[in-house]
Amino acid sequence: MEAGGDTAAPAPGDAEDLEDTRFPSEEAGDGGGVHEDPPDPGDGDLEKTESETKDQPPGLLSPLPQSEAPSCTCGLWDPAASENSPMGAPESGSGGQGGDPSDEDWRSKRKHVFVLSEAGKPIYSRYGSVEALSTTMGVMTALVSFVQSAGDAIRAIYAEDHKLVFLQQGPLLLVAVSRTPQSAAQLRGELLAVHAQIVSTLTRASVARIFARKQNYDLRRLLAGSERTLDRLLDSVERDPGALLLGAVRCVPLARPLRDALGALLRRCTAPGLALSVLAIGGRLVTAAQERTVLAECRLDPADLQLLLDWVGAPAFAAGEAWAPVCLPRFNPDGFFYAYVARLDAMPVCLLLLGTDPEAFHDMATCRRLVEEGMHTLGAMRALGEAASFSNFPSTNAPAYSVQAVGAPGLRHFLYKPLDIPDHHRQLPQFTSPELEAPYSREEERQRLSDLYHRLHARLHSSSRPLRLIYHVAERETLLAWVTSKFELYTCLSPLVTKAGAILVVTKLLRWVKKEEDRLFIRYPPKYSTPPPAPAASTDQPSHNGLFTGP
Amino acid sequence: MRKPDGKIVLLGDMNVGKTSLLQRYMERRFPDTVSTVGGAFYLKQWRSYNISIWDTAGREQFHGLGSMYCRGAAAVILTYDVNHPQSLVELEDRFLGLTDTANTDCLFAIVGNKVDLLEDGTADSQEKEGLGPGVAGGGSSGSPKVPKQVQPEDAVAFYKKILKYKMLDEKDVPAAEQMCFETSAKTGYNVDLLFETLFDMVVPVILRQRAQGPPQTVDITSYKTPRRTRSGCCA
Repeated sequence: MEAGGDTAAPAPGDAEDLEDTRFPSEEAGDGGGVHEDPPDPGDGDLEKTESETKDQPPGLLSPLPQSEAPSCTCGLWDPAASENSPMGAPESGSGGQGGDPSDEDWRSKRKHVFVLSEAGKPIYSRYGSVEALSTTMGVMTALVSFVQSAGDAIRAIYAEDHKLVFLQQGPLLLVAVSRTPQSAAQLRGELLAVHAQIVSTLTRASVARIFARKQNYDLRRLLAGSERTLDRLLDSVERDPGALLLGAVRCVPLARPLRDALGALLRRCTAPGLALSVLAIGGRLVTAAQERTVLAECRLDPADLQLLLDWVGAPAFAAGEAWAPVCLPRFNPDGFFYAYVARLDAMPVCLLLLGTDPEAFHDMATCRRLVEEGMHTLGAMRALGEAASFSNFPSTNAPAYSVQAVGAPGLRHFLYKPLDIPDHHRQLPQFTSPELEAPYSREEERQRLSDLYHRLHARLHSSSRPLRLIYHVAERETLLAWVTSKFELYTCLSPLVTKAGAILVVTKLLRWVKKEEDRLFIRYPPKYSTPPPAPAASTDQPSHNGLFTGP
Repeated sequence: MRKPDGKIVLLGDMNVGKTSLLQRYMERRFPDTVSTVGGAFYLKQWRSYNISIWDTAGREQFHGLGSMYCRGAAAVILTYDVNHPQSLVELEDRFLGLTDTANTDCLFAIVGNKVDLLEDGTADSQEKEGLGPGVAGGGSSGSPKVPKQVQPEDAVAFYKKILKYKMLDEKDVPAAEQMCFETSAKTGYNVDLLFETLFDMVVPVILRQRAQGPPQTVDITSYKTPRRTRSGCCA
């Protein structure tokens, strides 16, 4: 039995107590969750960092009249009300209206994400209009400050079929209210991504400054126009899980010589103040190069790279050559870079040039022309065009491959993240997965698969009892998730597959990945040239480079 | 690389239709609304000249970059939405100051966009396509149709204000009537007229600049006031 390297294959015996894992409907077993009906702030239904709120006299703590808070909360999350609403209600299209908490359509959403200021001012809501939600957001603020006044922080509330996750980031409060099977940790990851998105447009420093000056500032004024970006981010979790779940970027499958040549080309084409160049297609990475003078000591965080990949996918960048400030929250949450973004040759191939000089647009435009010429010389445009054109969903323009390529019948889909990458490019976690094909072409089917992956991921990474291998027979598919020192793998198989058959499929898949890894992953990302002799004019630059320092 | 000979900048509040105007002109279509991020650069060949056009984001978030986009501009298109008087007010309050970095002989065009939204309002006064759900539900005393909110005279008055602000003599610049436009990016009404009129006006400016030598030198020496104070990045 060989299933990849020196790791034991998932022989039935090894997985004895794990096979046919049935997921509990709630995560109470993993500790932390408490089942109870509506979350009552006066009761101990809160998962908290330290003390128990219920020990305190409620009158002392609640900034809201006691009679008000629970009644609002009950009305909102009445389980009976969510029952008669369709689970997989189409999630698109209704973003603009509604928002009245009594609105059936609004309540039927599987997951809500809210951003509000400390003062309780609504900033963002995934669904509905924030104006209609000020009461709801008031309740959230009340919950948070209620626990806060006891010197504690509220993290999550588990209420019947809902999870409420709270995340405080500076003057911003982010809340997820979810009926999806996502764990609280996964929801928190999503909230962190939402926060990073906000920081990337405004910087942490300017958000802090704004609220320090005026506590009840309406941040929507500054975020206006960015809501769609947040919507797209949250949608991607349901439609195409992977990037956020695995904390990795997806690469365009490409022959290694061409990828290497493109990497060399990017390193050759420079401009004053250029810090990072990225080639991408449809949110997937072709290659990237960091300039040593600016990002010498700092590694580009994969979350920042993913943020950039999502960002350049925005429709605003479809035409012309764009020049805009952007902040990389992990690299430096308080400063801006200036980004040149353009589609090359009217192709879906996107070039991003990130620099520190707000006036360098024309230098970057010149650099882009060098890249473009270089790519023509390499004949790369055609190859990239081919990579981009294979897709079942041509509209997405996303370079992809079919699961058929693996040649393992019964395999429907998978997510594979290598963990055995050489140390010097641990900075670039990657994953690969094929196009979602039938039966996962419909929205609700994709959502179901995404839910299953999230469940498996939560089990593998459970903080109390992590698992290495899960074989899960679901209603309409069979799944196998497996984490070793070399990879993390999630497979979705036909429901009729036997356990032995599943192992065979996985073995085949691992062999295929091994064979194709040079094409699927950036095995040897461009090395940055030798570090600069003097550490001058380097990493602190972004913090004071802005003529744009916020309002 | 083609070096741009002159620069035109589109300014205005968000959602007035700057991007749509430009797309209508450049690509002859009226695409779905997208919210511009930062600024987008286009190059237009006009006669033997390359004219660069900056389509800027109206969002307050990107306000700090505005003066950079305007640096050395030969013409600025100040855009408002004829249905929203506030968008004209914003031009004066927020955007006019950004043009301090433009050329001293910079041309200004005032453009009221979205006239298509008025047209059936003025034609037939009765029941209107619900311009916003609020109107339909409201049923207030006034008729549901949208009366023209910003009159061409308002734009002309604003144009004169600009001249005053720039301390320009009316005799030295194109007449207000010539520089105030009403357009519809949706139908294409007046869009070509706007851009082509402006291009034709910018060409002599380019020629004059060329005669005067490298524009950078001229720019720096001709700025007498410290620009920083106006750039407004820190408000």
